[in-house]
Amino acid sequence: MQSRITKTWIAALTLALLATACSGNEQKDAGESSAAASPSATAPAAGSASASAEEAVDPLGKYDPPIEMSFGKLIDQSMKFKEGESIENNAWTKLYEEKLGIKVKFDWTVAGTEDQYFQKLNVAVASNNIPDSFMVNAQTLAKLAEAGQIEDLTPVFDKYLTPTTKELYYADGGNALRAATFDGKLMAIPNISSEIDSTSMLWVRTDWLEKLKLPEPKTMDDVYAISEAFAKQDPDGNGKADTYGLGVDKLLWDGFPGLEGFFNGFHAYPNMWVPDASGKLVSGNVQPQMKAALAKLQEMYKAGLIDKEFGIKDSAKVAESLIAGKLGLYYGQPWTPLWPMQDGKNLDPGMEWKAYPLPSVDAEPAKTQSLFPIKQYFVVKKGFKHPEALVKLANIYKSDEVANNQQLYSSKDGIAFFKYAVTAGSDPHQNLNAYKKLSAAISAKDPSGLSPSDKAGYDHILKYLNGDNVSWGNYLVFGPGSSYSIIDQYLTDKRIQYDAFFGAPTPAMTEKTAALNKLQLEAFTKIIMGEAPIDAFDKYVTDFNKLGGEQMTREVNEWYAKQGK
Amino acid sequence: MRMQRIAPSRKAFLVANYAFLCLLAVSCVLPLVYVLAMSFSSSSAAAGGLVTLWPVGFTTKSYEYILEKPAFSQAFLVTLERVALGTAVNMFLSILTAYPLSKESTQFKPRTFYAWVFVFTILFSGGLIPWYVTIQWTGINDTIWALILPGAVPVFNIILLLNFFRKLPRELEESAFIDGAGHWTTLIRIFVPLSMPAMATIMLLTIVTHWNSWFDGLILMNKPEHYPLSTYLQTIMTQMNLTTLTAEQMEDLANVSDRTAKAAQLFLGALPILLVYPFLQRFFVTGIVMGSVKE
Amino acid sequence: MAFLKTWRNLPLHIMIFPALALVLVYSYVPMAGIVIGFQNFLPGKGLFGSEWIGLENFRYLLDMPDTLQVLRNTLLIASLKIVVGEFFPIFVALLLNEVRKLWFKRGVQTLIYLPYFMSWVILGGILIDILSPSQGIVNQMLGWIGFEPVYFLGSNDWFPYTMVMSHVWKEFGFNTIVYLAILTSISPSLYEAAVIDGAGRWKQTLHVTLPGMVPIILLMTTLSLGNVLNAGFDQIFILYSPSVYDSGDIIDTLVFRTGLQNAQYGVATAVGLFKSVVSFLLISVSYIVSYRMANYRIF
Repeated sequence: MQSRITKTWIAALTLALLATACSGNEQKDAGESSAAASPSATAPAAGSASASAEEAVDPLGKYDPPIEMSFGKLIDQSMKFKEGESIENNAWTKLYEEKLGIKVKFDWTVAGTEDQYFQKLNVAVASNNIPDSFMVNAQTLAKLAEAGQIEDLTPVFDKYLTPTTKELYYADGGNALRAATFDGKLMAIPNISSEIDSTSMLWVRTDWLEKLKLPEPKTMDDVYAISEAFAKQDPDGNGKADTYGLGVDKLLWDGFPGLEGFFNGFHAYPNMWVPDASGKLVSGNVQPQMKAALAKLQEMYKAGLIDKEFGIKDSAKVAESLIAGKLGLYYGQPWTPLWPMQDGKNLDPGMEWKAYPLPSVDAEPAKTQSLFPIKQYFVVKKGFKHPEALVKLANIYKSDEVANNQQLYSSKDGIAFFKYAVTAGSDPHQNLNAYKKLSAAISAKDPSGLSPSDKAGYDHILKYLNGDNVSWGNYLVFGPGSSYSIIDQYLTDKRIQYDAFFGAPTPAMTEKTAALNKLQLEAFTKIIMGEAPIDAFDKYVTDFNKLGGEQMTREVNEWYAKQGK
Repeated sequence: MRMQRIAPSRKAFLVANYAFLCLLAVSCVLPLVYVLAMSFSSSSAAAGGLVTLWPVGFTTKSYEYILEKPAFSQAFLVTLERVALGTAVNMFLSILTAYPLSKESTQFKPRTFYAWVFVFTILFSGGLIPWYVTIQWTGINDTIWALILPGAVPVFNIILLLNFFRKLPRELEESAFIDGAGHWTTLIRIFVPLSMPAMATIMLLTIVTHWNSWFDGLILMNKPEHYPLSTYLQTIMTQMNLTTLTAEQMEDLANVSDRTAKAAQLFLGALPILLVYPFLQRFFVTGIVMGSVKE
Repeated sequence: MAFLKTWRNLPLHIMIFPALALVLVYSYVPMAGIVIGFQNFLPGKGLFGSEWIGLENFRYLLDMPDTLQVLRNTLLIASLKIVVGEFFPIFVALLLNEVRKLWFKRGVQTLIYLPYFMSWVILGGILIDILSPSQGIVNQMLGWIGFEPVYFLGSNDWFPYTMVMSHVWKEFGFNTIVYLAILTSISPSLYEAAVIDGAGRWKQTLHVTLPGMVPIILLMTTLSLGNVLNAGFDQIFILYSPSVYDSGDIIDTLVFRTGLQNAQYGVATAVGLFKSVVSFLLISVSYIVSYRMANYRIF
């Protein structure tokens, strides 16, 4: 199970980097807190947070006597525990109790995926039997806020932030916090995530490029030429026409393979809101650029460059084609070398892939689209005596305590301890920073400037350079010329188009999104497969507006107008 | 059946019959063979869709992995407990309820009313939340009883059983009454022993239902250690949502390509239940013997 | 006399009591939740605090652009599944009944119920492979006998039937077991009498076996009528795709996609209630009809 360990390593590495990157700020913060520690110790226990507002506020102060706080938590498919440890008894629960005087309890835990966690959470919410604090998504957050089931964090949030966490939560100019604000009240702490980690790039099999003597892709015309050659010129040399030029799956929009990057090449931005010339927000789905991209896809499908059966294949099925060496080009996210490419490399060591920035259809460089990254929020149950405790928990997650303690983020055999924490939130650029450090060290062949944990990552990637393909995927994500080098380039050249809407779902979104998504997928699939002419796009636009798109646009613009103020 | 002269048309039919049933059986076995082959293949070959009916890159790693992992065996034990308790409770209630309902209205007037009270429950339900709240209210949440009591009255099985009971000769019951036996004695001494094939059938249905149910385990259990096997399998089979992958979830990508370990756990999870039927089959034969005894 | 009868029937009431108590608690109490179908249910406000909106949830569904089409798809797929799903196991049970070699009979019986235990996640992946128009084994075999490749999972003409056939294949082994159990309960003396009358195997099947199965066939069919709006969520959700939305989108997948956007309990409950009422009507009608026509109470 070599690969399992490899991949855990990435997460461990990134957290280590994030923690050390912050420790500069942390120094002065720690000084402040120790000075303030003793006087405030009993203050919050005396009454509500606002009552003790004027007393010393200590972002990392310890409750004495200790308080109990209950949680609900997802134990995801990759979480593991050391012998004798459990979610209720591990380095994190000990840290919480020793440093903050918070005894963390779990009312319930769910193993599986996020969907399963939310199923359980919803029945808990409905039976009004919620823990003191838990993670929610945007929809549930809006409902909880509406029903008054959660505590207003406005009075405690800013007051209790450490400089480090303040920097984290305000790094995006406060958008993440705005998304958690209802009627001017901050109802949750957002789980800060990266807006760049899910951008799209073009992936091409370079061993095929070489074999067919093709140039690297710079323009959309290159993309067509390469996919045509990959589909028609038998790049795998088996004498059969069994290869595809462009990977597409039945969802169209996906992490692997997704068509977002292809549409971005036409300056079209599906599934997000973009400002038009007049400064109003419009849905990217119905802009004329979409039509041009669809027309090209239709042409490519007709020419046999796309799998004729893509319409019924999900991500895993397309992955089979890639791993089996039938697919040579797709648009996808930065992590795709880890899966499915690594499996392909395991089977065929000759397989080589490279990421390219999105080519553009014209002289204007293509921008990659980036959806609003905050998907999770942490909330406190209404009536819980110490709402500030959640802020403290978020503070300690980013503290020196964590940065300097290996026991809190990962073990040597790949157990990711940091997943036991009851809050989360990471520097959006942690993976990018990891790339910068690692690729510099690799290029210079000099790991001396790296911290011990970075050194571990360095050694791992070095395995590939020494001929062991086991870390090939990691090299393609973090090494020189990797996915993150493309993202770095995107950031430098300002080639990222951000979703302009990031509020809670509007009424029309709640009601109409399901129908509009179906409409879109059905129309686009039919156009691509040539079952409908390209002009069917115009009918799609009319239907889109009629079935709620117009109303949605109005509501989004009302929200947008408020943001300006 | 005594030996007869076999007509050519009969012979042709028999050949076609055997051939057809053979084909049917083979089509039913192949998917399991596929899962088995997958479980012994290298994970990259499985992810590449290269495995059909024979392992590619043979390895027993998946099985070693399961042995290392306590979750599988833990869930297995919960399922055994659930099936044992659940089947006992379901069978007891099925027999007890089917007997009065198998009486004619002339003999037991409210039977039709009762029957509809039960049938109504398979038609109407208040949905997930009231169901959950009720179970919580009775205080059995997060215990094995939460998986047993809410479904303790298997209406479908009761209906099946009451139809079997009705087919038993009325004279047996009447003569038992004349001998001074009450309803209890009649049920235990006459109805139950004479309905073994029916019992075996509903027992099989019950065992399989308990074995396969996963949703109640997910919602009603508060700790993954309390999940029954099918809930556990469901949590590992569900695909991650790749469109919203965060940096921290990148490591989970290992699970995406982990088809071999999933296949191994599916296979091991299905194995015991596959052995139950051949075991219960002998009761079906007993039934035939019983039938002739009746004369 | 009346008193004597009541006294003698007392054990019958006692026997029913435990099951009655359990369904009262675990089935009838939660039925209060049906009111959610008429509310804009907010979990936090509960059953009594949520806003009443009358038939708004039903109207929301009717206003969806393709509710009628979805209803039609559901009915087509579900009713075909009921019909074929009833017929095929009877057919197989009769065929197995003709088999005299006990080991073969038992072997086949055991093997045909294997697919019942496979999840659609696994079977879905297999089906996509074997039904592929370009490489799938099924289309290759069709090719040998001169047919054009069929796009079983991607064509609106074929998708519903592919769903029905694969569903029946997955489940038939299980119902076959029930029918085989019924066959054992047919008295051998009836067959002997038929043989004396000179009936061959075919006549025996027609005049002894089938009539013996009729009550159970009626019963199973009646009960499966309750599924006339359940077209099989797991299967369709795994296998459908935007290209077959026209023929493959069913009520359950529609509600699921609606719910993804928002935990819409009201809508889900309204749909559930609608399905329940339809099932109730169908089952009542067939109960009454079979009682009036055949003087047979299904339950």
